[in-house]
Amino acid sequence: MQNVRITTLEFVITVIFVHFPVIASAQADFEGIWNPQHPPRMGQPPPDEVRLTPAGQAEYDNHSADTDRTLRCLMPGIPLGLVDPYPLEIVQQDHQVLFLYEHFHQVRRIFTDGRKAPDHWLPSLIGYSTGHWDGDTLVVRTTHMSPDNNMWTAGFPFSGDENTYVIERYTRDGDMLTFRGEVHDPTYYEEPYVVNGRWSFAPEGEIWEYECIPEFGGIL
Amino acid sequence: MSVFLNSVAFYEREGSNVLKSPKFVLPLAALAFFVGVPVTAHHSGSTYFDLDAEIVHNNVTVVSYNLVNPHGRLVFTFTDADGNETEWGGELASANNMHRRGLGGEIFQPGDKLASVTGSPSRSGSNFMRLTRAVFENGDVAQVTGRNAGVTRAGAE
Repeated sequence: MQNVRITTLEFVITVIFVHFPVIASAQADFEGIWNPQHPPRMGQPPPDEVRLTPAGQAEYDNHSADTDRTLRCLMPGIPLGLVDPYPLEIVQQDHQVLFLYEHFHQVRRIFTDGRKAPDHWLPSLIGYSTGHWDGDTLVVRTTHMSPDNNMWTAGFPFSGDENTYVIERYTRDGDMLTFRGEVHDPTYYEEPYVVNGRWSFAPEGEIWEYECIPEFGGIL
Repeated sequence: MSVFLNSVAFYEREGSNVLKSPKFVLPLAALAFFVGVPVTAHHSGSTYFDLDAEIVHNNVTVVSYNLVNPHGRLVFTFTDADGNETEWGGELASANNMHRRGLGGEIFQPGDKLASVTGSPSRSGSNFMRLTRAVFENGDVAQVTGRNAGVTRAGAE
């Protein structure tokens, strides 16, 4: 029988991976409840800096208050819900990171096990998200988003066609979680639509129910 | 603190359906978690309201107060410049955010007299505004929007 010599370092690494798989695979701890601390304009770019294509401009010119789906009690999804004004709970598992939003009880599954969207995956409001760690930054790519959505409630449209995708980067600095989102929609935008958001860690935070009544969403 | 929406009672009154909030007031201590939290909204208010304009209605009477999502609503009447009783609606923050700002519970009751309500007018020209502030007859202030959202008691600094 061969004598197996295990160095001290190999032993320590083995213990870590066996007993603390989450720590071993995740590069940062995002778990917990986070309260919105977003920049002005809800992290949206200044409207006069948004460069629309002719098709995008035509959509923008035709927007009305009715295009805000959240006023009709329909969940914002992605990209509309990228910067959200309600608390968020993050749960990290071996194969995915869960974003549990108070707003409309939205659930985002960000698969971190290397999988790709199945061929049969249909477009949806929440899309299909995969993620990986770049150092201590979680990088999320979302595709398969529904065209029945907007970029932002100020009337900026979203095509949701097969060329659209979103890249988000989340980084924790102490009790602040910052993120930058780039929405790639070349049909409507000359360049990526960039949003920025911030969340503050809330150990005593609470996720409440968000019941919604459409009759109270409209403008009288 | 209980999840208030689980205990919301819905009832019908003569001539109208009114969603009634539960009878409790968010303890001020709970607001500590949200002191200094910038007040944000998902909707781009400028799409629906002229945020550069401000209107004030004085000596108003509360008709109804609905604390719901996506927006609470305060309906009130006042006597306009022509001596006519006029009814207006004021859009409030969502029920969830109103509670977090200490503006939940039954802060407004039908029949309450308010010294004034302030807000931004609707772009549609209707009798509707984005209500930002209400002043009670005793001087208390309910600030609905902004960094100082919440209730300020009369005489407090």
